[in-house]
Amino acid sequence: MNKVRWLVLSSVFAMLVLLPFLHLYQSYEAAHAYDLLLPNEKAISDSMEWLTSPFIKDPEKDLNQLKGTTWSGTLFGYKMSDPLAVVGQIAASGSVYWPFLLTALIPILLSIVFGRFYCGWICPATLIYELNDNLATWLRKVGLPIGRRKLDKRVKYLVLLVGIVLAGLTGTVTFAAMYPPAIIGREIYYVIALNGFGAGMIFFLLTILFDLMVAQRGFCRYICPGGAVYSLLGRFRLLRIKRDVSQCNDCAKCNVVCQFGLDPLRDNFSQECNNCTACIAVCPTDALSFTVNVKDIDYQGSGHLGHQYRRQQEQNSEKELA
Amino acid sequence: MKRRTFLQKVGYSAGVLGFSALPFAMAQIFYPKLKAQPHERIPLPGALADHSAFIEACIGCGLCGEVCPPRCVLFHQSDGSKAANTPYIDPAEKSCILCGYCMEACPTDALTVTPLREVNMGIAQIDRVACYPWVDRGICGACVSVCPLGDKAIDFEFGNFYRPVVNDGCVGCGQCVEVCPEPSLPIRIVDRAKGAVAKHAVETSKETRQLDY
Repeated sequence: MNKVRWLVLSSVFAMLVLLPFLHLYQSYEAAHAYDLLLPNEKAISDSMEWLTSPFIKDPEKDLNQLKGTTWSGTLFGYKMSDPLAVVGQIAASGSVYWPFLLTALIPILLSIVFGRFYCGWICPATLIYELNDNLATWLRKVGLPIGRRKLDKRVKYLVLLVGIVLAGLTGTVTFAAMYPPAIIGREIYYVIALNGFGAGMIFFLLTILFDLMVAQRGFCRYICPGGAVYSLLGRFRLLRIKRDVSQCNDCAKCNVVCQFGLDPLRDNFSQECNNCTACIAVCPTDALSFTVNVKDIDYQGSGHLGHQYRRQQEQNSEKELA
Repeated sequence: MKRRTFLQKVGYSAGVLGFSALPFAMAQIFYPKLKAQPHERIPLPGALADHSAFIEACIGCGLCGEVCPPRCVLFHQSDGSKAANTPYIDPAEKSCILCGYCMEACPTDALTVTPLREVNMGIAQIDRVACYPWVDRGICGACVSVCPLGDKAIDFEFGNFYRPVVNDGCVGCGQCVEVCPEPSLPIRIVDRAKGAVAKHAVETSKETRQLDY
């Protein structure tokens, strides 16, 4: 399951890299100017033609079916936008534009069912942040000081609130400048198609440093306003991870592997869990699995296969005997 | 080297430098504006008329740039202004071909689907002192032949075959600006209100123009 997630994450990222090339190919086709292209442009055009020719007939028009980024894009004709974009735009303009609200409908419905799944399964920044976190654990093994501070999780709701207020005051969609998925999609496009990069790239590098030096996955956990929106939407999510007490052996690998610092060992997933299945994949006794439930269950006690539980059982039986 | 000779040399070279910089200073005093005014950044087709409303509605997703076939859509850099990551067109760099893909792609109401002839990106304004045919320094007509909207937008002056005149049908796509071969930059896209004033009056255009050549 976790490997499937890595596949999804990297394919989303690869798509973001591929789309600018497809766009370049499309504009070359639209200009009918193959003979005038430079050698590197010809290479782009040829490779994209080789990639797309089995699927589409008219590259000039058919490629418009797949455009944009995860911030807002067209996926096979369906327009989809990030709920945060809708929140920011409504806050900035003070009016609701219904077609735009409808583009965020599918993500909103999906995150009501699956919770913060966007953060774990789709977000192109997550791929980089997770690789960055692997690097952090590696550096920690080498002996470099890696920050693992814990901040207050509620900071991100404050960031969301301040962002909305700022958007309302200044009349700009402030989130667009500080939301990593939006930044990444845009910057990849700038780098490939427009030959340059914006200030967002520097901001993103700063967030990576923040993750490395202050807190593990610090931006996602404590600052990201989009994460705040998805957390709020996924508060009463249907699909949850549940710990089976009879199978658990208290090894606490799930707590170690959870990059969001949650506590699966004590049944404490809360609204922050992004259903990333890392804990399910690491569990040696298959005690963790998905269930359909609106609320987290309370702490069920220590695992039945663990030392603590067995010692208690022995003590209880001794008491009964005595 | 002694201190005195060192100071003497420093003073001597400073004097030489100052004297040689004199012509530049004089040029700055007598001919302060030698470069032609750069072109203004014009909005995309179908953009909200009010620029601040456009910035409020734009979420900076960059879709308009991705669907644009001639790749004319550029983006404001994050330079601290409100307009960061919002799109604009620089017609001198690359002009809009009025295909309308960006209007269809925009998820918000920043760009709304508008009929071709009702697009309002501005209006072309021809500086009749800078345009070669208007001062009888050559024959051209490139702007008229490239215009996608025909004689309702730009046409030759009555009874003349080379002097271009902008009409009310112009939507400001800027293809004439891109194609104009003259280094004096006689044609530029301006706001509709400004363009209507200066359209037929050579005097007004003389006052507003900023170029020296």
